[in-house]
Amino acid sequence: MREEKKSPSVWYKLDLSAIVYPTLQRRDFSSVYRLSVVLKEDIKPEVLQEAVNRALPRFPTYKAAIRKGLFWRYLEPNDRPGPFVQPDIKNPCMPMPFKANNRYLIRIYYFGSRISLEAHHSLGDGTGGMCVLQTITAEYLRLLGHEIDCGGFVLDIHEEPKAGELEDAYMKYANSKVRPPRPGEKTYRVRGTKEPFYTLNIIDGIMPVSRVMEVAKKYNATITEYLNAVLLYALMQKQENDFHFGLRPVRIAMPVNLRRFFPSITLRNFITMIYPGIDPRLGDYTFEEIVEHVHNYMRYYINEKFLRGDITTNASTQRNPFIRVVPLFIKDFVVRTFYTKVQDKNSSAGLTNMGPLKVPESMKPFIERFDIYMGQPFSSRTNCAIISFEDTLTINFASSIMEADVERYFFRKLVRDGIPVKIESNRA
Amino acid sequence: MSYCVNCGVELDGSLKECPLCNTPVYNPRNPAEGVEESPFPEKKGQVEKVKRKDFGILLTVVLVAAGITCGLLNLFVFKGAAWSLFVIGACLIVWVLFIPVVIYSNLSIYTSLLLDGISIGVYLYLITFALRTDAWFFGLALPVTILAVCVAEAFTLCVKKLPCTFLTTSLYIFTAVGILCIGLEILIDWYLHGAVQLVWSAVVLTVCVIIDITLITLLSMTRLRNAVRRRLHF
Repeated sequence: MREEKKSPSVWYKLDLSAIVYPTLQRRDFSSVYRLSVVLKEDIKPEVLQEAVNRALPRFPTYKAAIRKGLFWRYLEPNDRPGPFVQPDIKNPCMPMPFKANNRYLIRIYYFGSRISLEAHHSLGDGTGGMCVLQTITAEYLRLLGHEIDCGGFVLDIHEEPKAGELEDAYMKYANSKVRPPRPGEKTYRVRGTKEPFYTLNIIDGIMPVSRVMEVAKKYNATITEYLNAVLLYALMQKQENDFHFGLRPVRIAMPVNLRRFFPSITLRNFITMIYPGIDPRLGDYTFEEIVEHVHNYMRYYINEKFLRGDITTNASTQRNPFIRVVPLFIKDFVVRTFYTKVQDKNSSAGLTNMGPLKVPESMKPFIERFDIYMGQPFSSRTNCAIISFEDTLTINFASSIMEADVERYFFRKLVRDGIPVKIESNRA
Repeated sequence: MSYCVNCGVELDGSLKECPLCNTPVYNPRNPAEGVEESPFPEKKGQVEKVKRKDFGILLTVVLVAAGITCGLLNLFVFKGAAWSLFVIGACLIVWVLFIPVVIYSNLSIYTSLLLDGISIGVYLYLITFALRTDAWFFGLALPVTILAVCVAEAFTLCVKKLPCTFLTTSLYIFTAVGILCIGLEILIDWYLHGAVQLVWSAVVLTVCVIIDITLITLLSMTRLRNAVRRRLHF
C-alpha cells in the first residue's frame, strides 16, 4: 500500500440503492442528476470556489471517491484538490467516470446567475444533494456579505457531521415480516432516434404554482397526482399515435422520499420507487379517469406500511449471505442484466417531484428559482423532474432522443387546462 | 415574447423555433425576435479522459521483462535456435497494439495502423534471423504487409471521411476484400512462379464486384435504399 500512512480509517458502505448505480456505469452513461439554483445576480466564480471549499468538508459522503472491493464497492474520503467550479456546459449530466475529475463524484458549474450541482446518484438522492447545494449557496451569499441563517436544507458548516446524516437508513427500516413481490411487467417503451454522444436535450416548462394547484384541485388531485396523470396521458397518446403492434401498459417510475415516513436525517439515498400506471388494453381512458386512478393508487401505496415492505424486499437481496460472498464482477453482471431486462422495461418514463422547496427566510430574497434534472435516461426515453419555489413551478424534461413528442403532448395538455407555460430549451 | 401557434406555450426569447413541435417563431411585427441570449450555455462539455498510466507501466514492464528473460534464456541456456526472437517480436506487437489504448490515447488512427504494420514487419524480419534466409521476407512477406496496411488505411479513410452507413460500410468492406485478394494472389504468383495467373482471387473479385454493384444501385436510388432500410433495420 503506497498510501499506507495517510490511508483513511474512515470509509462508507454504499447504501442499498447506491449499489445499483455504479454497476450501470457505461462509457456513455452515468446515473447523474443535476440541481440548480438561479440567483438574482451574476455568479462570482472565485467566491463560489471559496464557498465550496468551506462547505464541502461538512459533507464527508460527498467529498468522497468510489472504490472497488472484492465483494462490494465503497466510498472513501477524498482529499485530492477539488472539486473545482467550472463554467457551465450545454450538455449537463454527462457521464462521470470514477477516476476522472480527481475522483470526485460531484461537479459544480456556474453560468450567468445560476449555480448547478451535479452529483452521482451513488452518493445520495435529491434531498441530500439539495442540502449540499443550499449550504454552498448560503455560504456563497455569506461571503458576499449577507446574513444567512441555517435551517432546513442549509446546514451549519461549523458543526460536525451527525452520524444520522451518514447512515444507510434503508437497513434500519427494512424490517417488515413479509417481502411483497416486485411488480414486473413489460411496459410501453418510447421509441426515438438516439442523439449522438454528448447530447442531452432539455425542455423546461415554467409556470405559476397557484394556477397548477387550482387546476389540480378541479380534478380533486394534488399537484403530483395531476402532473403524473398528465404524463401518463401524454405517453398514452404517444403510444396510440405511433406505429404499434399491440398496446402495452403505460407506467411511470416515481421515486418517493422515504424521509417523509421514517424519521431519518440521512443525506444519502433514501428513496423507493412506485409505479403509477394505466393499462390501455383494458379500454380507452379519459383524462379524468387517469387522474382518479393515479389519485387512488397513490393513496393506496404511499404509506409507511407498504413502503416498509418495499424496502424490505430490496434489502433482502443484499442481506442474503449467498449473494454477499459472490465476487463483485459477477454481481455487476447479474445486476446489469436484471436492470436492462426487467427493471428498465418496468416503466415508460421517470417522474420525480421534489415538491415546494423551503429555504431559510433570510435567503429567500436572493433566489429566483430552482431547477432539477433527473439526468440522462438509461434507455431511449424522457425523464421529467419537478420542483417549485414560491410561486414558480419548474418542470424539467431531459432526454437523449431527438423527438419531443412526449413533451409536446404533456405541455399542450397543461395549456389546454388553462395553465400558462413558458418554455426554455437547449435544443438548437 | 412569442407564443407557439401550435402548442400555445410561451417561448423563451432565445428560441428560433418551438422545441416541442419545431414550428418556426415568426412575429411579423418584430422579425428580429429570437436573438436574445439563451439561458443555456453554448459550449459543450466532454468527459475528461482517464489516463491508464498504471496499466501502461505494468504492461511495458511485463513485456520488456518477458523479452529480456527469453533473450537471456536463449543466449545462455537453450542455445539451439534463435527462438527468443519470436517471443520478443510478439511482445513488441502487443506493446504497439496497446499504444493507442493505454499509453498515448490521442494517437490518430492512421498513425496507429501504420505503427501496427511496421511492428508486424519487424516481427517478420526477426523471423528471417531465426530461419537464416530472407528471400521470402523481401519477396513475399514485406509486400503483403505493405498491401494489407494500405488497404486498412484506405478503408479507415473511407469510413471516416465518406458517408458512413450500414450500406456504404459494406460497400467499403467488399471492395477492400476484393482488392486484398487480388493483391495477395498477384504477390504469391510473382514470388512462386515469376508470372501472374489469376485463379481463385478472380472468383472472389467477381463476387465482390456483383455485391458492390448491387450496393451502389441501392445507394443511388433513394426509394430502394429506404425500402432496404425499412426491411433490414435492427
